[in-house]
Amino acid sequence: MSLSLRPEKADPLPAAVAPRPARSSSALRRSALPLGSLVLFLFLWQLLAVSGTWSETLVPPPVKVWRAFIDVSTTHDGVRGYNGTYLIEHLGISLRRIAFGAGIGIAAGVVFGLLMGTVGWVRSLFEPWITFLRTLPPLAYFSLLIIWLGINEEPKITLLAVAAFPPVAVSTTTAVAAVPKALTEAARALGASRWDVVRDVVVPSALPETLTGVRLAVGVAYSSLVAAELVNGLPGIGGMVKDAANYNNTPVVLVGIIAIGISGLIIDGLLLRLERAVVPWRGRT
Amino acid sequence: MSSSELAEAQVESGGAEDGAVRLDHVTHRYGAVTAVGPVDLTVPTGEFLVLVGASGCGKSTLLRLIAGFERPSEGTVQVSGTDPRPGDTAGVVFQTPRLFPWRTVRGNLDLALRYAGVERARWPERRAELLARVGLEGTEARRVWEISGGQQQRVAIARALAADNPLLLLDEPFAALDALTRERLQEDVRRMAAQAGRTTVFVTHSAEEAVFLGSRIVVLTRSPGTVALDLPITLPRGEVDAEELRGSPEFGELRAEVAHAVKSAAAA
Repeated sequence: MSLSLRPEKADPLPAAVAPRPARSSSALRRSALPLGSLVLFLFLWQLLAVSGTWSETLVPPPVKVWRAFIDVSTTHDGVRGYNGTYLIEHLGISLRRIAFGAGIGIAAGVVFGLLMGTVGWVRSLFEPWITFLRTLPPLAYFSLLIIWLGINEEPKITLLAVAAFPPVAVSTTTAVAAVPKALTEAARALGASRWDVVRDVVVPSALPETLTGVRLAVGVAYSSLVAAELVNGLPGIGGMVKDAANYNNTPVVLVGIIAIGISGLIIDGLLLRLERAVVPWRGRT
Repeated sequence: MSSSELAEAQVESGGAEDGAVRLDHVTHRYGAVTAVGPVDLTVPTGEFLVLVGASGCGKSTLLRLIAGFERPSEGTVQVSGTDPRPGDTAGVVFQTPRLFPWRTVRGNLDLALRYAGVERARWPERRAELLARVGLEGTEARRVWEISGGQQQRVAIARALAADNPLLLLDEPFAALDALTRERLQEDVRRMAAQAGRTTVFVTHSAEEAVFLGSRIVVLTRSPGTVALDLPITLPRGEVDAEELRGSPEFGELRAEVAHAVKSAAAA
C-alpha cells in the first residue's frame, strides 16, 4: 500500500452537504419539542377543565383564558382593558419598576461585589449581612417597607432593588476573588498600577460571572414582582393578578401569570444574547 | 572584553549598567522550606543567561526575585543598580502566554504600551514594529483565543518588549509548545536578543534549549538551588544557520556537558 496525497474518490454525498440534515433535524427538534409540549399542556389543561374535577372558577378552560386575554388587551363594553389599563400597559409599568428597582440593586451589587472581592475587611463586614438578606423572602420585609416608605412607588422599587442586590453582589464577589493570579501578575509585570489591575483585569475577568448574577437578579426581581405590587399595585401586572385574585377572576390571574412568564423568558433570552455578545471569551483561554 | 571580565567590571562598579543583574548571597524561603540559595550571580548588560536545572530546583523562584515579584528572604537583588519592581525593571514572559482573553492582539499590545507610558499617537507605529519583530504582522484584529499557542506566546513576547526594558526575563516560555513551534521560537528569540543587545535571563530545564540560546549557562543544584556550574558558551551568535549550529560537534559536546551537569546537580 502506498501513501498518497491524491483526493479520495468523490463521495456520492459531498461532505459539506452531509451535515445539513443533521442541522435541520436539530433545528426542528429545537422548535418542535417546545411547541409539542405546549400543545400537550393545552390538551391536558382542556381535559382537566372539561372533566369537571374542579369548578370553572378554579380551573377555567384555555378558551376562557384566551377571551380574558382579549378582554384585558382591548376595550370591551366600554371598559378599557383591566381596571382602565390595557394588559400591555400593566406589563410596561411593571417592567419599568423592574428596570428601576433591579437596575439599582444590580448597580449596588456590582459595586459591593467589587469591593468585597478586592478588600478583605469589606467582605468580612458585609458578607453575613448579604447572606442574611438573601435568605429573606421579599414579603417578609415588604410590610416594613410600606411602614417606612408609604404605598406609592418607593416601597415597590426598594423591594425589587433589595431582591436583585444579593445575587449580583455574591456572584461578583466570587468572580473577583477567583480572578486568576496569573493575569493580575501579568498586568503587574507590564507596569500596571493597583487601579489599572482592577480596571483592566479584575473587572473584565469577573464580567462573565457578574452577568450570570445579573440574569439571576432579574429573575429574582421578576419573581418578587407580585409581592412588590401587593399594595396599591394597580396599574401593574402583579397588581392586576392580585386584584383579579381578590374577585376570584381566575382567567385574568392566569393571563397575568402567563404574561409575566413570557416576558420573563424574553428578557432572559435578551440577557443571554447580551452576555454572549459582551463576553465572547467565556470558557476560552 | 569577555562576558566574565565584563561581569567582574560591573561587580566593581556595583552592577549599575542598564539591564545588569546582581544577586548577592540571595536565599529565598517559602515558610520553613528553602527554595533557593544562597546564590551569588552577576549578569552583565547584553548577556543571554540561561538558568538550567531539574524541576523544583528554584530557577523560577530566582526569576521571580529578579522580576521583583518577591523579595529575597536573605541577600539582595539589584537590576540596573536598583531594587527590582514589577513592570519597571524588566519585561517578563511566563510559561503560559497569560494574554487577556477579552482583548484582541492589538488590545493586549496597547495595554502594555499604555502601562509603559508610550504616547498614544505612537501606539500604531510601535505596535506594528513589535508585531513585525515576532513575525505576527496582520494579526492585530484577531482575538487571542483564535490564534495558535505558538502565536499567543509570540504576542506575549511582543507584549513584554513593549516597554523596551533593558532586561527580558523568560520563564520556560516554550515548555508547553510542540517541538517545531518551540524550535522556531527559539530561533526568533536568539535572533532578537542578538539584534537588541538586551540582557536576557531565560529559564529552562532543557540542555539543548540552553546551549542554543545562551551566551552563558548556569546550572542549579536540586532544591534549595545553588550554582552548580557556570559555563560561558562560545558558540557563534548573531545571524547563524540554526540547523547547522544544532548539528555542529561543538553544540553536541556542550549539550552533553550541560545535560550531564543537570543530572549530576539533580542527583547531588
